[in-house]
Amino acid sequence: MNVNVAALVAVLAFAGVMLAIFGALYVGAARSYGRGELDFEGIRILRWALLGLISIYVLLAVTAFLT
Amino acid sequence: MQPGPATLPSEPSTLLSRPSTLPPYTSRLLLWSFAVGVIPPLVLIAALVSKSLYLLTFIHVITGGTWTGFDIFMGVVMTRVMRSLDVPARVEVAKRLTPTTFFILPSLAAVAVTAGIYLAQMENKFDLSSPWIIAAIVVVLILTAQGFGIFMPNGVRIFIELAKLKPDVGLIAKLNMRNIRLAGVQALLQILIILIMVHLAVFGTS
Repeated sequence: MNVNVAALVAVLAFAGVMLAIFGALYVGAARSYGRGELDFEGIRILRWALLGLISIYVLLAVTAFLT
Repeated sequence: MQPGPATLPSEPSTLLSRPSTLPPYTSRLLLWSFAVGVIPPLVLIAALVSKSLYLLTFIHVITGGTWTGFDIFMGVVMTRVMRSLDVPARVEVAKRLTPTTFFILPSLAAVAVTAGIYLAQMENKFDLSSPWIIAAIVVVLILTAQGFGIFMPNGVRIFIELAKLKPDVGLIAKLNMRNIRLAGVQALLQILIILIMVHLAVFGTS
C-alpha cells in the first residue's frame, strides 16, 4: 500500500494540533461542569463537536492512502 | 438568553435533568455545519479514487476560494455590520454564526491544503527548494496557526460560555469580534497566497 507521506504528515499535524487545543478547552469545560457552572448540554455538544472534527480528519487521512 | 435557576445545584448529576441553557437551534446549526463540512473531504476522496486531475483541481480551487471569500467577507463586511450592532445583538449573531461555521471552515482549510499538496505532486511542482513553494507553505502555516490557535478556541469558548448558567455576554461579543477582526488579517494572507498560487499556475516553481 502506497502512503503519501507529505499529505499524511499535514493531516496528522492538523489533527494533532486540533486535538491538543480542543482537549485543553474540554478539560476546562469539564471542570466548569464539575463546579456546576456549565450545563451538561454544553459538554454533550462539545463531545459531538470533537467527534465531528475527528471524522473530518479521518476522512482526510484516508486520502493519504489513495494516491 | 434564558435565565438560570436562582441556586446552583450542588451535584453535577442534577444538571442532567435541568433544561438546557443553549438555544434549541445550536444543535441544528452544528448538524448543518457538519453536513456541509463533510462534503469537501468526500469530494477529495472521489477525486483521488477516480484519479481525476480535473476534480482534484476543482476541489482545491473551490475550497481555497471559499475559504478566502469567507475570510474577506468576514473581515471587510461583517466587521462593519457587527460594529453597528449593540452587544446583545452581537451575541445573537455569535450564537448562530459560531455553530454554523464550526465544521465548515476547518474542513475548507484542511481540504484546500491537502488537495494542494496532491495537486502539486501530480503536476511535479512539489519542489521544497522552490522559493514559491516555501512561501506558500509559510503562509499556510501562519493561516493554520491562526485558525487552530485563535479561531477554533474562540469558537469553543463561545460555546462553553453559552452553555453556562450565567453566560458572560460581554465575553461572547468580545471573542466573536476578535474572530471577525482576525478574519480581516487572514483575508490579507489569503490574497498573498492566491498571488503565489497564480504564479505557480502560470510560471511554475521557478
